Order: sequence, then C-alpha cells, then structure tokens
Amino acid sequence: MYQSFIGLEIHIQLATQTKIFCGCKAAFGDEPNSNICPVCMGYPGVLPVLNQEAMRMAYVVARTLNCTLSPRSVFERKNYFYPDLPKNYQISQYEHPLGRDGFVDIEFHKKKRRVRIHEVHLEEDAGKMIHAGDMSLLDYNRAGTPLLEIVTEPDLEVGEEAEVLLQQFRRMVRYLGVCDGNMEEGSMRCDANVSVNLSGGGLGNKVEIKNLNSSRFVRKALNFEISRQKDILERGGTVVQETRLWNENRDVSEPMRTKESAHDYRYFPEPDLPPFITDDAFLLEVEKGLVELPAARRTRFIDEYGLSELQAEFLIDERSTAEFFEHTIALGADPQSAASWLASDVKKLLNRRGESIESSVLNPERFAELLRLLDEGRIHGKIAKQVLEEVFVSDASPAAIIKAKGWEQITDPAELSEYIDAVLKANPNAVEQVRAGDAKPVGFLVGQVMKATSGRAEPQLLQELISSRLAVKVIHVLSFGGAISGVRREDGLIGPGELFDLRTEFAGDTGLPAELRLEEIQLGAFLSEEIAPADWAVLISEIARRIEDSEAAGIVVAHGTDTLSYTASLLYWFFGKARIPIVLTASSVPNDSERGSAKPRSEAVANISAAVKRAASGAPGVGVVYGAQEFAPLNLKFERVEEGAARAGVFRTWNEIGGDSNPAHLPAPIYPAAGVEPTDRKAVQTALENAMSRCFIVKAFPGMRGDHLITLMKNGVRYFVLELYDTGTASVRETPYSLRAALQYGAANGVSFFCTSQQEAMVDFADYVTSHELWREGAIPMGRLTTESAFTRLIVAQLGSEDELEVQRIMEDQ
Amino acid sequence: MLTFWKNVLENSPDAYEKAVRARDARIGSFLEFNPTRHLGNAPGEVASAEKHAVLAGLPFGVKDNIAVDGFRLSCGSRILENFNSPYHATAVQRLIDAGAVPVGKTNLDEFGMGSSTDNSALGSTTNPWNEDYVVGGSSGGSAAAVAAGLVPFALGSDTGGSVRQPASFCGVYGLKPTYGTVSRFGLVAYASSLDVIGAISTDLDVLQAVYEVISGADPFDQTSMDPVPSASHDADAAGVASLGYRGKSPCLGVLKPEQLELSAEVAETYQTCLEGFRSLGYEVKEVSLSMLEYVAPVYYTIATAEASANLARYNGVRYGLRPDYAENPEELVRLSRDQGFGAEVKLRILLGTYVLRSGFQDQYYLRAQKIRTAIRTDFEASFGEVDMILTPTFPRQAFRHGGEDMSPFEQKQADKFTASANLAGIPALSFPAGVPKGLPVGMQLLAPAFGEPRLLAAARDYATLYKPELAPGYERPAGEQ
Ligand SMILES: [Zn+2]
Repeated sequence: MYQSFIGLEIHIQLATQTKIFCGCKAAFGDEPNSNICPVCMGYPGVLPVLNQEAMRMAYVVARTLNCTLSPRSVFERKNYFYPDLPKNYQISQYEHPLGRDGFVDIEFHKKKRRVRIHEVHLEEDAGKMIHAGDMSLLDYNRAGTPLLEIVTEPDLEVGEEAEVLLQQFRRMVRYLGVCDGNMEEGSMRCDANVSVNLSGGGLGNKVEIKNLNSSRFVRKALNFEISRQKDILERGGTVVQETRLWNENRDVSEPMRTKESAHDYRYFPEPDLPPFITDDAFLLEVEKGLVELPAARRTRFIDEYGLSELQAEFLIDERSTAEFFEHTIALGADPQSAASWLASDVKKLLNRRGESIESSVLNPERFAELLRLLDEGRIHGKIAKQVLEEVFVSDASPAAIIKAKGWEQITDPAELSEYIDAVLKANPNAVEQVRAGDAKPVGFLVGQVMKATSGRAEPQLLQELISSRLAVKVIHVLSFGGAISGVRREDGLIGPGELFDLRTEFAGDTGLPAELRLEEIQLGAFLSEEIAPADWAVLISEIARRIEDSEAAGIVVAHGTDTLSYTASLLYWFFGKARIPIVLTASSVPNDSERGSAKPRSEAVANISAAVKRAASGAPGVGVVYGAQEFAPLNLKFERVEEGAARAGVFRTWNEIGGDSNPAHLPAPIYPAAGVEPTDRKAVQTALENAMSRCFIVKAFPGMRGDHLITLMKNGVRYFVLELYDTGTASVRETPYSLRAALQYGAANGVSFFCTSQQEAMVDFADYVTSHELWREGAIPMGRLTTESAFTRLIVAQLGSEDELEVQRIMEDQ
Repeated sequence: MLTFWKNVLENSPDAYEKAVRARDARIGSFLEFNPTRHLGNAPGEVASAEKHAVLAGLPFGVKDNIAVDGFRLSCGSRILENFNSPYHATAVQRLIDAGAVPVGKTNLDEFGMGSSTDNSALGSTTNPWNEDYVVGGSSGGSAAAVAAGLVPFALGSDTGGSVRQPASFCGVYGLKPTYGTVSRFGLVAYASSLDVIGAISTDLDVLQAVYEVISGADPFDQTSMDPVPSASHDADAAGVASLGYRGKSPCLGVLKPEQLELSAEVAETYQTCLEGFRSLGYEVKEVSLSMLEYVAPVYYTIATAEASANLARYNGVRYGLRPDYAENPEELVRLSRDQGFGAEVKLRILLGTYVLRSGFQDQYYLRAQKIRTAIRTDFEASFGEVDMILTPTFPRQAFRHGGEDMSPFEQKQADKFTASANLAGIPALSFPAGVPKGLPVGMQLLAPAFGEPRLLAAARDYATLYKPELAPGYERPAGEQ
C-alpha cells in the first residue's frame, strides 16, 4: 500500500491600486510597458517604498488562514537572473514571513481534512517574456505587482483534494476582495509538490510540478504524478527529485529541461526596506478586513433559511450573489423561492445576457417585488418568468410591467366568483353530472371560466372556488395497469389489466369523504417490472401538467410493487415540493374480489382506498401508502414475507431517512433546478433515455472482474451506482478480480462511482483501509441513500446538467 | 571667495565654463560638465532657500553615481556609459530647491569600488597637488574638483570612506553623515546598508549648510530619517563652538599611533593634531577600538555581498550597454556584463556571490553581520567615555598611479579607519591637518549617530590652529579675475 503527500504553493496577485514598491498602476491587459517607472524597471539609484495596502491585504489573508501573524516581518532579496526580473533579484520574504502555522479545513467526498499552512509571505511579481520567432519580447507591466505566496504542508493526499482546496481558496480571496482568483489569466497560480512512499515510510522524494493553470489541471497533474511515482516504486526504482512541467495538451508531466533546479537564491535581508512592524492601528485595519467566509455563510444559509446544501452552495459561490440574496430576504421575500429563482431563471437570464448580478438592472428591490407578486397570486409562475425577462428588457419594476402589459391575474375571489356563477348557470348538465359523482365535467367547467376570463383567472383559486361551489374534491388516479389493476389469467399467472372502476369498488366505503370525485387515467397496461423510460416520461409529464393547471386537489399513482422504490424516489426528486399531495401505492396481487360481493376487500382496493384518502387530506409532496402504512418516498425496500400459506409483501425504509415522515429531514428534491421542462413528455423521455444510457448499477461481489466494468465504460457508461458491502468496502487489491482496474480507468476517464451499500448501512468510507483506498480512487459515498434512491437521483441530476462535475456535486448534496 | 561663487553663474557663466574646462583638462575631475543646464531653475522651497541662503547660486559637482535629471548617470562604468538619468536624486533636488546649481558629474571608481578613482572606465583623474599621484576614491572627481577650485562643494558617496579618503588626499573637508539621515534615493547602490551621500568642500559653513539641506526623512527612502539628537548629545547645536561644550571641556578619544601602522608623515601629523586639540582645551583620552582589525574583512564581506545583488540589474536588457547581437536572452545578459563591467567590479561581484552561497552564509555573511554588531557596540562603549574619536583618515598620503606604492589589497586593508564609521552607521568628518612633503594629510573625527554638529564644531576649532592650504596653482576659484 502506498501513501501520497501533496503540498501546494499558491500565488495570488493582490488587487491593490498600485504596485508593491512604486506608484505605478497595478493593472492587466494594458498596452505592454505602459505601467512602468524607474522603480519597477530597476533603474539605477531607485529605492522601493512599501505599499501599505498590499501589506494590509496580505495580513488579512494570513489572518483568515488562521496563521500566527508576525509582529515584525522582514523582506529579503531572492537572487536569480531572469530577463523578466528587472533587478535580477526579487524582493520576497524568507526567514521572517508575515504569517506562519495556519490551517484551512477542506472536505472531499465526505472526508474532512485540516490542511496546515506552513507560511504566507509577500513578494513582488516579475514581468512577462514572450518569445516571438527569433525575438524575445518583454512586458514589465506586471513587474512589481504584489504577489502573495501561500505554502501548505504536504497534508493533501489526492489531486481532487488539491482541486477542492484551490476552489475554496479562490472563493475566499474573492470574498476578501484581495484577488479575483482567475487562474487562466494568472492572477492566481499554483505549483505543487508530490511525494509517494510505502505506507508508514514518511515522505518520499519530492517532485515539484509547475504550469498548473487551472484547478482541473492541478487535479489531473497530481493524480498523474502520483501514479507515475507509484509505478516507479512498484518496479523497484527510485523517484528522481526534480521539477516537472504539466503538459496540458498531452495530459502528462515532463521534466523541466533546465538547470534551474540547481538554484541557489542567496537570500539576505533587503537593506532598502526596514522590517515591517505591526502596530495596533494596523492590526485594527486587518480585523476590519475580515469577512464572513463562504463556508461559514453556507452553514448559516442552511440553518437560518432552511436551504439545501446545493442551494446554499450556489448562493455563496459569489459574494455578490450571496449579498443580493440576503438583501432580497431582508425585503421580506421567501428564502426558498428567492434561492430557487436565483439558481434557475435569474442565472439563465444573466448568463444569456452576459451580465453579472451586481451590474444588472435587476436589483434586490425589483426581485423581491416579483416574488411578492407571485406569492400574493397576482401573477403565476409562467407570467413571473415573462415579467423577469421584461425587467431586463425595459428596466422597469415588476408591478409596473404587469400593469402595462395587463398580465395581472384575477385573484379576488369575489370577482372570480362572478365568472364562475355565470359559467355554472350556463352549463346545468355538467353541474348535474358532477353532483351525481362524476369528476370529468369539473375540468370542462374550469376551462370555461378560463375562457371567460381570457386566461387571467388564478388557476389554484379557481380550482378551489369551483370545488367548493360544487362541493367536490377531485382526485386523479393514474394507473400503469400493474398488478394493482391486473388480472389473474386462466393459466394462473398475473398479467396487466385495466384499472377497475373505483366508484363501484368504493361504493360501500363510508370512510371516504362524500365530496370526493375520482378521475381514473390509464397511462399504460404493463407490470411494474416492465417499466421503461418512456413510461416514466408519461407519468412525470401527466403529473406536472396537473400540478401546473391545478386540475386536481391530489394525485394517486397506482403502481406495482417491484419498482415502486424507484418510481417513488424518482417522483420525489421531481415533485418533492409540489403543493398538492402525490401518493403512490401498489399491490402485488390483482383485485380478485367479485364485484359487489361481500368478500373481504382485496389488497389492491384497500391500498388504493387508503391512498385516495391520503391524497384528499394529506400533506403536499410525494408519499407512499401501502398496507395501511405511510412511508417516505426514499430508501424503500420491498420484501416478501411468508404469512402462513399466503405470500405477502411488505415495505420497509432503510436508514430511516425521514422515518418520522417529516419531509424537512429528507434530502432536498432537485426539480425545479432540473433543466428539462417536466410537462414536455417528449423532452422528458429523451432526457431520461439519454441519462439511462449513461448509468449502470453494479453490485460488488467476491471475485468481481474490474475489466468488465471497463467494457461498460467503453460502451458509454459515465456513472455507476456501485453497491458495496457494509459502510463502503470492496476489494481494490492488485488483481484483475477486484475493482481497482475499473476505478483507475474510471478516474482517468472522468467516470463517477456513487457508492451505496448492500446492507442497511450508511456509506461514509470510514474505518477500513479498503474504504480509504476507494476514496483515494475517487469513489463517492452516497451516505444514507439506498441504491434505488441514489440511482433515480442520478437520473434526475443528469437532466439538470450534462457537466459531470455538476452531476457529482448534485449527487453529493444530500 | 563665497561672494564670487554666489554670482559666478549669473555674471560670467561663459568665462567660468572656459576656466573650468582649461583646469580640468589637467586633472580630469568631471565626466560631464554643463554649468547652464540647470541654471535658472527657480528655487523650490522658499523656506529652505532663505534658511540656507549661503547655498543660493552656488555651482556644485555631483559624483556620477548620484542622479541628476538631464545629466548622465554612468557610475564610471562602460555598462552605463550612455545612460541618462530621468530623475533627480532627493539630495540633488533639495540642493536645487535651496538655490544651488548642479554643473556637472564627477569621476569615480566604477560603481564606487576603489580608493583611487583609477578604477573608472570613463576617465582618469589626477591629484591637483601632484599629477603623479592619485586623487583618492571613490569620490575622487568630487574631491579634485573642489581642491582645484572648480566648484565650492561637491556631493560624493561614502560606502567605506569614499568621501573622506579623497578629501584627505586633496586637503579638503569631507563629511560622511549618519547612515539614513540623507536619503539614498537617486544614489546608485553599491552596498545599501553602508552607502550614504556626503559632501566635500573647502568651506565649513558651506559644508554645514549642505548637510542641513540634504538631511532629513524622504518618503522615497524608507530607511531615511530626520536627525534625532539623542539625550547624550542634545547639547550639540549648530554653530556653537565646542569649547565650553556641555559646560566642560570636550573629550577626544585617540588611538595609540604605534598600533595603527601609519606612514611616518601621517603618524607625525596625527601627533601634531592631537597636541593641537589639547592646546585648544580638549581633553584627550586613549581609547581602544579592539574590533578595528576586523573592520576591513567585515566591510568587504558585507559590501560585496550587497553589491552582488545591487549590480545584478545591469544586464543590458532594459538599458545600458548591450551587444549588437546575442543568440538568446541569456547570452545577451552574459555578454553585456562581461563587456560592461571592469575587473574590480567583477572581482567584488564574485566575492559577494561567494560569501552569500547557501551553506557558506554562516561562515561569511552572517558572521560578518555579528562582528558588525560588535563593532557598533565597541563604538557605543567608547562614546560612553569620550565625545569624539580622532583617527587618521587613511594610514598614508596619496599614492602614485599604478600599483607600485600600494597594491589593491593594501588599499583595501587601509580602509579600516573610514569603513568602521560605515559599519557602525555613525558620522565622520575628514579635515585637512597638514601638507608634509607637499601632499595633504587628513584627520578623521568620529561621533555618535546624529553628532554631525559636534564634528563640524570641532573642525572649526581646529581651523583656528591650522588653516587648510589650497593646492598650488589653484588658490583662486576657476574663472575669478
Ligand atoms: Zn513603477
């Protein structure tokens, strides 16, 4: 077993107005050699004058990284010849850096780690040399800009951790306002050192890697380097201590062909600058520069506003977004809807227009007003989207736009009632039918009112008013025709059928409310084990449409038992936040009872009856009813038990997610962040089929051959749900009969492994060496989620994004 | 004489220029001379101009390692031969503000490295007292120009004695102020922790005025400061005769002449000088500066270390000498430095690079810093007992051109009296004390930090006994009718 050690050297250009030792503008992208003067050009006779602002920013960063701040920090000369370094020495810090012994906490795939900061020191940047043909050109605009170097201890283990640290660091410096953290443009740079050794052998020979221009390259380069060194050691070789450059075109590191590694920098204290002594006034300025950091803000957003991790993560990513959000909340907006609008429609619009939130015409006041109009029902969702777009176009307030465009809904019950009265009067037959127990004409009547109001009636209010005027409650029962509606054929086998007539079945059921009006909708006729993406697409689009048009007060889905745990969790990820109840139920045996006979009611009838009751009176959102029991939609496991001569099925919830039926305890649903319009059946079907083609469920077993999974990957599988043993263990031994080859191939090709357990166990990769190896290879623990729930989440996550890292983020946010 | 100097540029600039050129054809003190280039610049700070009215109108020479806008800044080196300064050094700016006029740039040992000015790559300067002899260095051009009556004063730089030693060789006054009291902004660095801009003159009033004008904190030099008289010598005041100083006789520390390895002429003059002070009422007390023998090695370790970094910027890339063609940037740098620097400069860069090597710093650079601290402590202890210390400026008189009289190594060792003041950061003044066998001998007074007024007062006292002579043939200022 090998251990790897990674340390980083991060450089950031401090965003000061002027350079560190002269009055030149510290700006980028200007005409070459336009921001220069005798001091930063190293003319004879000039002297450096320390920029106090650079010093303040440097101490703020050191303080934020929990460093011990030096009361006296000393500049030194680092001597080396390079044409882009005007003085041929760099003023830097060596023996007495401004900050030491700090730390930063990171987390990758559930594993938390404290990375020690060795030191933080301030120095001047060099210019840029460009080779053009047989010429070498020099631009000194950058020479003398303040550069802060942060050196970590070799506390990181894998490239992904370095990537996480860099992303976190980038966000930190942006929050502090000391750097824009742009790695591509070089305002933030990173060098790394890597060593690999046998476990327990301490650090190995250190290899430095340079030219890492993005956090993604850092990850790739480090993982490449770790396996390169491992290979050398495995072959009995010795790793050469050297500096290597990452070649981003070839995805390999190459030895740097120069004698530069033999540098002797001949440091000595800079005689032109006295030591910097911190006084109380300066330290006070440093304290003033501290801000609430992204990690703390994320936790606070989750706790204070009840946001999901993913929502909080999105909001805190940029300080300006977080502040916009909080400003909006302070104006009385609902945190949930503010967060989801910002993450979806607002973000889309800003991206499309290439604007940033702080520079756009959408200010928190306008945004809060839009949410208020929506909340008060004065506009509905579709109109709200149009209003938002119009804010950007006409630079006006939402209220003014609604007025000008005549988009305001009729939300006054009295006004709406007048329209309803007229429609009911004009359609006595339909009214009579409903009173007699038929649900179908309700939809017709709703449509008539909509027509009369030119579509301005607020749909939910309209639904409520008509229902109460007619004294009915409409529940739609959607059926796939599984066993619950199936038939026992002549040969004794159970086959799919059409849902029986519920009105007849429920005729004697006194437990059902009198105002109940059921509408049965047959979506298919097959057993639940036969379900295909097209069927799910139908189900999803039918439910979505009913929610949007307020056609029903509740929805019941009559399903089979075999795949109920998939469909239930799938619907939850989509509709977990719906404002009406969506209740799934199932039966493993068909309704054998003789119609109207006195025989005890079948399981199918009993379950549907319970589901209808739950839909008519229960809480909004997705639930499951089976055998007179209510279940949360996640982590369901169907089990068969022998009950005397009869076989019966039971459902059980693993890991007790939301065991107390409190939806607040469930991981947050993903829709409406998903990118597909759920009412669009065709689009949903295509998206589901694409998603399905990219993922696969695999169960670990003794002697499993990793190369079989490679075959799957070669055939387009990008995501695995990997069902491991216990808390996340499996064989990763150096043998074809383990997961190792598959994990390594996957890591190299960007394939994700989301790990669940074959047992009722929480997967966190704790405790075992094999678990840690899995973590090292990049496998992602799914915590409490079962294989079924993780799988459907993976499907929905893919609808939200094609980007694999984004999918990973969604999967990890539970 | 001062009256002549104050009006010469206004009344007869052409005659003046002509006279200077004629005289300088023999001694070669100026590398560049143009008395009218900065003429007519209105004094900037009126207050300063009024306070130091003595300087108004005076022409002055500037050592060519101190920046004067509009003049070259060659440092006596091929590598900067054609480099024009785009700015004024702070000291120069302050003198201009006080009404003085920079008229030219004086010759020096390349980058201030030498004791003869013979290390200049751009000109040869000779001693006005005897053309066979060197003028001293490295501010040799400045000392020669003053001694030959070309300017009433000149600026020099003093890293290990570069103002005082040539002043001594030429029979004029040379002041090295306390480290940090004069801004180094515009002084081309040789050894930054030792360098200080100083002044050379035949007139103590002018010297004092120049010191007062150029001293004081400068925002462009963070190591600069206002002179802060400490409690022990707060009774010092400019212009107060030191007799009766602090209500009692001033006390002068002297060294045992037999331990100083002096030439007979210098030893004799030293003896005469301290007798003279005694006769003026000064108390004379023997002090032992036990660290004196380490001064030269410590000085050369620290100075060359800093020089190796300070001179790294001259690489032909942004300015200065560069070859017509180079294969690549590295070769350009190598050729520029090879062709641009003289032998002494290369020697010192190599020495400095050597003492800073990792693994050798403990043995050389860091050790030298420790001894430097001990030297400073040594002086502090002595100044607890005496007010000033009197030493010869240099162990011998001017030597002849070429290495016959004194090898470069002997020249370096002889820096110990002057370099000790640079290592300790304290002020020192070289004053003329005699002209045995036709060549001047200077004596040096050292005082605690910020003790410049005390040094000037003592020099004034001594001038009542010995009036400095001017070089034969140069008794009258250039251009005086
Ligand atoms: Zn500049």
